Amino acid sequence: MFKNLKVSFFLACKSIKRSNIGTTVLTIAIMSLIFVNLIFLPSIVEGIAETIEQQTRDHIYGNILIEPKEDDFYIDNVDSLQKKITRLPGVLGTASRYMVGATFTHKDKFIGGTLHSASPADEIVVTKYHKGMISGEYLSESDTDEIIMGLDLTGEEDKEGDEADLGGVKVGDKIEVTFSNGVIKEYRLKGIFSVSKMGMDSFAFITEKEMESVLGSNNQASQILIKLNELGTEKEFKKKFMELGIKEKIKTWEEKTAGITEVVVSSFRIITLISTIVSLIIAVVVIFVIIYINTIYKRKQIGILKAIGIDQRVIIRSYILQALFYCFSGIIIGSILLWILVSYLTTNPISFPIGTIRPVIGTSLITQSILSLLIVSLIAGFIPSWKTARESILKAIWG
Amino acid sequence: MIKVKNLKRIYHKGIVEVHALKGVSFEVKNGEFLGLMGPSGSGKSTLLHQLGLLDTPTGGEIFIDEINILKLSENEKTLFRLNRLGYVFQEYAILGELTALENVYLPLLMMGKKKKDCINLGMEMFDKVALGERAHHLQRELSGGEQQRVAIARALINKPKILFADEPCANLDTESSRHILELFRKLNEDLGQTILMVSHEEWHKKYADRIIYLKDGLIEKM
Ligand SMILES: Nc1ncnc2c1ncn2[C@@H]1O[C@H](COP(=O)(O)OP(=O)(O)O)[C@@H](O)[C@H]1O
Ligand SMILES: [Mg+2]
Repeated sequence: MFKNLKVSFFLACKSIKRSNIGTTVLTIAIMSLIFVNLIFLPSIVEGIAETIEQQTRDHIYGNILIEPKEDDFYIDNVDSLQKKITRLPGVLGTASRYMVGATFTHKDKFIGGTLHSASPADEIVVTKYHKGMISGEYLSESDTDEIIMGLDLTGEEDKEGDEADLGGVKVGDKIEVTFSNGVIKEYRLKGIFSVSKMGMDSFAFITEKEMESVLGSNNQASQILIKLNELGTEKEFKKKFMELGIKEKIKTWEEKTAGITEVVVSSFRIITLISTIVSLIIAVVVIFVIIYINTIYKRKQIGILKAIGIDQRVIIRSYILQALFYCFSGIIIGSILLWILVSYLTTNPISFPIGTIRPVIGTSLITQSILSLLIVSLIAGFIPSWKTARESILKAIWG
Repeated sequence: MIKVKNLKRIYHKGIVEVHALKGVSFEVKNGEFLGLMGPSGSGKSTLLHQLGLLDTPTGGEIFIDEINILKLSENEKTLFRLNRLGYVFQEYAILGELTALENVYLPLLMMGKKKKDCINLGMEMFDKVALGERAHHLQRELSGGEQQRVAIARALINKPKILFADEPCANLDTESSRHILELFRKLNEDLGQTILMVSHEEWHKKYADRIIYLKDGLIEKM
């Protein structure tokens, strides 16, 4: 078996060495592009998924979100709860929020939205709105008559059309806020942020102090966002929180986003799957055609090999080895191309509405692509050589 | 060492049956140089193909060294060809992707010999067929006579019990032909090589120990 493999290897090497260089280069080029294609699109989809998840962690849920118990409207005793949680090593910070429905009015324009409260010192640790300020400033602890709003609420001045927004209000403009409890109050627009088009740009914030005075509540919250030191430790911490005796609903960001990300990403994944299948079919066809033409063209050679006593399996294996050579060369060249592409896109990420996207290449994606290309090459190398090598010797030599 | 009994080979060409061999029986002794002659289409190549295990007869029996070779499996036949037979085709049947030397030592490689030994034995064989300096040339760089000598060297490299040659000189000029026939004669005399050679040239007769004449798929005289 091993000795025979040596002969197959010998024949395959000579065949590649003395084959047409143009054909070899072209084949490897096609294989490498197929490999790039197998990895690139899924890596972008993975990147999109990761960005969505990152965005929701950074702006909506934190790593873990605490919500009121069933039937409760607010979480009570928020301060002590936050202290309890923050004391656990591995917890970076917590931020509690009130969320109320509100209508924002400026001159003749108005728009409905969700108004959040923010404790600026806490928010800065847990979320990233302060990094997304495109004009004005973030809230500070003592602000009472100030509001910050997302770009989708404020709107942009030059933009045409009937978008539902305030038509391009500017920092310093007065915004009238009608709270769901009927309170109407005017705020000065202190800052405008734009963090992601996934809905966060329709948020508005006032300080917690201000919100509590409007709502007439104290030490309560609609939700508490928890930021952990390490991504991936959420489940473990969820358990710890439950052991602390927290009765409120505790959800990891994964549990909260499962729906959203799946909806967005699953559509992309279908496209990816189609593209993967198409790539693999192209790979099968390319290798099949090349090996097939090779074997047809070499029918006589195969006949001679059999006539002088070279085992048919040795001959078939020599063609499979050639297919594997094209496959591996393609994978190597393709990896280099991918590396260049990915390094470029990592320093110059693609700008998507939901944020900037970097390709994410996981080891499972790589092994999966290599394996599928390998299997495809094996099959596409085997079938034509097997068909030709099976022919009777005399027919192969003289047609 | 070769015993052929009532050998038949019928080809099917559509609905037409071609009886290429109609029942041929003969024996060849160890160390014999046997010539097979006869007009074109008389079944010489067909007979050699059956003996060389390149084709399967329709009827009859072939024994080589007491082995009923028609009872062997495909893989056993392949091994039999590799280890015991040498075959030289009428056309130059050498492998275009291999150099002359690689062509010659390939059977040794297949037999499991080390590459270094293969090369050494191959070079020795090259000297025997007087091709020394052409060892590293590819098929397209060799003349017809040279290609045929490569094919002969390859057929002999495994020290076959029997060397089959089907009109080895058909495409060669008289000079090259004489060269090859003399080589056969020498192999036969010096090493006791058993040879079955097909030819239809009268002057080739003198190189063989014995001639079998075929006509219309039957032995006409021997
Ligand atoms: N593969 C084949 N299919 C059909 N007929 C064949 C085939 N090979 C040989 N024949 C026929 O068998 C007969 C003997 O052919 P062959 O053995 O090649 O003769 P020779 O070698 O003596 O010239 C011829 O009539 C030839 O046409
Ligand atoms: Mg003939």
